[in-house]
Order: sequence, then C-alpha cells, then structure tokens
Amino acid sequence: MAPRKEAQKATECGDSNMEIFSKALTAGSVWVEKDDFLDVIYWLRQILGVVLGLIWGIVAMKGFLGLALFFLINVAIVYLYYSTFQNVDEEEYGGSSEILKEGLMTSFSSFMVAWIILYSALHSEL
Amino acid sequence: MFGDCVLIVAISICTALLGEGLTWVLVYRTEKYKKLKAEVEKQSKKLEKQKETGADVANKKKYERQEEKLKTNNRDLSFVKMKSMFAIGFAFTALLSMFNSIFDGRVVAKLPFTPISLLQNISHRNLGGEDYTDCSFIFLYILCTMSVRQNIQKLLGLAPSRSANKQGSGFFGAPAQMGK
Repeated sequence: MAPRKEAQKATECGDSNMEIFSKALTAGSVWVEKDDFLDVIYWLRQILGVVLGLIWGIVAMKGFLGLALFFLINVAIVYLYYSTFQNVDEEEYGGSSEILKEGLMTSFSSFMVAWIILYSALHSEL
Repeated sequence: MFGDCVLIVAISICTALLGEGLTWVLVYRTEKYKKLKAEVEKQSKKLEKQKETGADVANKKKYERQEEKLKTNNRDLSFVKMKSMFAIGFAFTALLSMFNSIFDGRVVAKLPFTPISLLQNISHRNLGGEDYTDCSFIFLYILCTMSVRQNIQKLLGLAPSRSANKQGSGFFGAPAQMGK
C-alpha cells in the first residue's frame, strides 16, 4: 500500500522542479497545478526585484522615480509574461490582480535592499 | 559602510533561519501540527473545487458545514503556532535590542530617496543630523527580513499553501472572503 500512496502523492504534487522550470521557459505551457504557475510568478518576481535593484544602484537612480519605475516595470513584465508569453486565463486564478499581486511585497523589499546597498556602496561618500 | 550592510543582511538571514529553526522544533515537527495542516490543506482545496464547479442549492448545507469545519481547524492551527510565536517574539526582542545598541547612532547606508515623514521615524531612528537620506540599522534590517524570511519559508516549503491562505483566515486574519 505504501508505494501506491507514494505514487499518488507524486501526482498530487504535480511536476518536479525541473519540469516546472522548463515549462516556465516554454511559451504557452499548460499548467495543471495552479500553484506551480503562481510559484513561477513568485520566483520570477524575486529575481526581477534583485536585478532591478542592482541596476538602479549602479546607475544611481534617485528619488521616487526609482520606486515608481520599479513598480511599473515589475508589474508590466509579469503582465506580459502571463498574458502574452504563457497565455493563461487570468480568471482561473481569480482575476489579474491575484497574479499581479503574487509576491509583490517580497520582491519590493528585495529590490530595496539591493538598491540601497549598492547605491550607498558606489555613490555616497560616507 | 558596505561592510555594515553586508553584516546586516547576514544578521537577517541568520535570524530568519533561527526563527524557522525554532518554529520547526516547537511546531512544525509535532504530530498535531502535521495532522492539522494536512487537514486544512485538503479541505481548502476541496472547498475551492466546489466553489469552481458552483455548489448548487442542495449542496449548500454540506458546503457550509465543511466551511465551518475548516474554520475550526484553522483556528486550532493558529493556536498551535501561537506558542512558538511568543517564544520567538521574546527571543527576537532581546536580540534586536542588542543589535540596536551595537549600531546605535551609526549611519549604515545612504538612501537613494527621501522617505515620507511617516517612515522617517524608522529610517532615521537614533541618528543625528537633518539629512534624511541617512539610513539607520533598523530600517535596513526590517527590509532585509521582509524579503529574506518569506523567501526562506518558500524555499524550505514551510509557507502555508495558497488555498489555505485564501480560504481560512486563521485566528488573527480578516474573515474569509467567500464568493464575490
């Protein structure tokens, strides 16, 4: 009985991490497990947050323009990713706000940390 | 200054790991928690599916009963968690005041923007001078913790599942939003 249970668990959990990763990079993948897709969005956001933070820090972006631009680019990329690249039906996930919201705060704080640290290391005389 | 920043990031990673470790010892590994969590997750998924298919009138009573059960389970789950939350709260208050005194009056970073006055309380805490782009330890620490903690929970698979989050509100959260 134990192996059967294991097998059942495996199918319930959906794909392995590698499969999810390759699906995330393939246009128009079919997402059986909704959580997998939201996880992809979550991690995409985190990477995006850190990368944008590093860029902002290097080019010495300043003021609220930096914050506004971050939100704009972050939301725009996620929107383009799910609506044009993956072509998912947002209604399945409870509306576009549900997807656009996923991991936004965490991404924002990662972005701030990267931005502040790099900015103060490169562009301040303290 | 760069050294301070790296140190703060390291501190927040350590404290996040410590917090999760403590919670694991006190909560995650206990049988009661595992059982409750599995139950809540199963019920949340089931309820979500039912909602999608559209629970008809005949099923409504059954649906409501399940919802009630889920709420009770969610409340139990929060109670189990609360014990460790208190322990961690105490430990972290002590730790934080220690770090606070180490970094007292030290500008750890330069902010690329001027925070709104509401945030200046935190970002300029214990710092002299009128330059509000100076950043205090606590501000950077909070930001680091916000990002590190969630990511660690996610990586270790300890974050509560989305459907459970959506369905049950837990003990402190807002009431569950059922149907729009």
